[in-house]
Amino acid sequence: MPTFVIPAPYQGPTRAVGRVDVAPGSVRACLDEMERRFPGFRQQVVTGTGALHRFVKLFVNGEQLDRGDLERKLEEGDEIEIVAAIAGG
Amino acid sequence: MSGGPTGDRILYVDMTAQTTRFEPFPEAWKLLGGRALSAKILLEQCDPTCDPLGPDNVLVMAPGVLSGTAAPTSGRISIGGKSPLTNGIKEANSGGQPGQHLMKLGIRAVVVKGQPQDPAKRFGLEVNAEGAKLVPADQYALRWNYALCEELATRYPKTASFMSCGPAGELRMRGASVGCTDQDNRYPARHAARGGLGAVMGSKGLKYVAIDPGRTGVRQAADRKGFGELCKNYTKSYQAGPQMFKTGTSSVVPIANMLHTFPYKNRTSGQSPDAATLDGARIVESFSTRGGGMHNCMTGCIVQCSNIVHGADGKYVTSALEFETLTLLGANCAVKSWEDVADLDRLCDELGLDTIETGAAIGVLMDAGVLEWGDAEAMKALLRRLPEGDERAKAVGNGVVAAGKLTGHHRVPHARGQAIPAWDPRPLKATGVTYCTSPMGADHTAGLIVNPGLQPAQFAWESQKAQLVNAVCDSSGFCQFLQPNLDDIRNFYGALYGTEVSRETIHDLGWQCLADEWEFNKRAGFTDADDRLADCMSQDPIGAVPTVFDVSPDIIQATKQRMPARDDLFSAKATG
Repeated sequence: MPTFVIPAPYQGPTRAVGRVDVAPGSVRACLDEMERRFPGFRQQVVTGTGALHRFVKLFVNGEQLDRGDLERKLEEGDEIEIVAAIAGG
Repeated sequence: MSGGPTGDRILYVDMTAQTTRFEPFPEAWKLLGGRALSAKILLEQCDPTCDPLGPDNVLVMAPGVLSGTAAPTSGRISIGGKSPLTNGIKEANSGGQPGQHLMKLGIRAVVVKGQPQDPAKRFGLEVNAEGAKLVPADQYALRWNYALCEELATRYPKTASFMSCGPAGELRMRGASVGCTDQDNRYPARHAARGGLGAVMGSKGLKYVAIDPGRTGVRQAADRKGFGELCKNYTKSYQAGPQMFKTGTSSVVPIANMLHTFPYKNRTSGQSPDAATLDGARIVESFSTRGGGMHNCMTGCIVQCSNIVHGADGKYVTSALEFETLTLLGANCAVKSWEDVADLDRLCDELGLDTIETGAAIGVLMDAGVLEWGDAEAMKALLRRLPEGDERAKAVGNGVVAAGKLTGHHRVPHARGQAIPAWDPRPLKATGVTYCTSPMGADHTAGLIVNPGLQPAQFAWESQKAQLVNAVCDSSGFCQFLQPNLDDIRNFYGALYGTEVSRETIHDLGWQCLADEWEFNKRAGFTDADDRLADCMSQDPIGAVPTVFDVSPDIIQATKQRMPARDDLFSAKATG
């Protein structure tokens, strides 16, 4: 199964769980599944119109996903990771 | 193999007698630098019950263990002393060049004691390869930081860097910072800001420190090849990663707003309606028309998170405009525009003020009805009046609690007298545990945990872990934005001194730093009852599901008991 790798700032809905296996499908379908299981998760990643938030970067198997490529299929064993910059300064 | 840098010294400065002397740096302390070294010196040499602005306080300027070497982004310096804001021990950390320059000269710490008999006297401390001496500096009294450093740049060689206190420090204001010059233009744009250590510097009559390493080279490691490999591999690995800070910490604004930790109107909300106009993305967009851009504040930095901000006229305004500043001087005061915050940031750097403490204090004045929400021009005018002794400006310069006392306002967000930074302890309760238990008080750099999903049973370990990692990071010279972990740091230490540094040793170094600081605070009169946040944090809810800080005292006290090391201690990254 593909695995969502969730950084700490986005683990509110998952209650501090950092890795979640999801059914194979498009990135968007995986986000839908995450939302069903962890309400509030999807809105952290995409806007109300379904576009990736400007401040969110998604990586699939270590390679950055193009911003418009939410239909990309995730296969068995793929890792999809949200990368978040957090710092105070 | 063993060895590494030898002949290191501590520079002692007696401001009462106006003398300087060097002493050999103890071999047993070789893995102590920055924050840990400052804590050790303060515990041994400073009376914890002293008046923080009196002659018995001790001001420590200590670069990290790796400062002055070729390790990437490792030149940070710790300023330490008894805080006039918290009345406990304090370490504030800064980038810029002074840390690297002191270490290139083999100076592990500058320890400043005493006080001139005449409080009107000002002195400069000159440090170079020949030695160190105090020189008269009365002519610079109350000089703003930029004008001061501009003049110092004409007086000292091009290779010199400076540390200074502005008028706020000279006037002994409890929110005063110590400025450090950056590597490009030698602007005093980097600040050891928290805890009022600029007031300690000012109380000693020390207006500036000029450090000229001349042509002294980098510090060489015992295992030169191994150290070089570490530097190369670490840099390569960092640069292959997402480099999340390459547009600056100000880019964090939208995520913080989403997580309800972008405090608005004196923390009565966790979200600002002006997040889009305060977002660092607007600053990055301005580079193409106004100039400015990203740069590194110190030589050898691979993070390059510092922005140089220009105004509409294309002229330099400030650097770096950070997330915390945009939050406290921006959203927290209902200021809408990043450009206004840039002006306010410059004013704070000029006067030598902590932007977090200043923004929190002004937020209290606004909440109390003394100033209008969002009136940036009134904020600027208030800060400009600070050197004249204006009562409200003085309260702001003395921090959030002083602003609360002046107005009698009930909502004063602080822990142990120090303003709470942007990262809010209500949605981020584990970070709140850090604010309660850290010897530093409400300081996100002491152990930031941005995980709103953590459960109460996890708070104590997560906070202790973050506090340990950050204590070691702030002792190493590495910048927290490089995000090193304890394994990284011990490997660099090992190659520097040619001896293995075990996980147990690095864990001990972190714990000893915290233990020394807690012991100082205990001797200063603090008890477990002081490990708490201001009442407003447990009374005023914020967030999508309104929440208050409601962590039990048992969890808070458990955080201060040493727990066995787990593997995640060594892989956890520094955060700040």
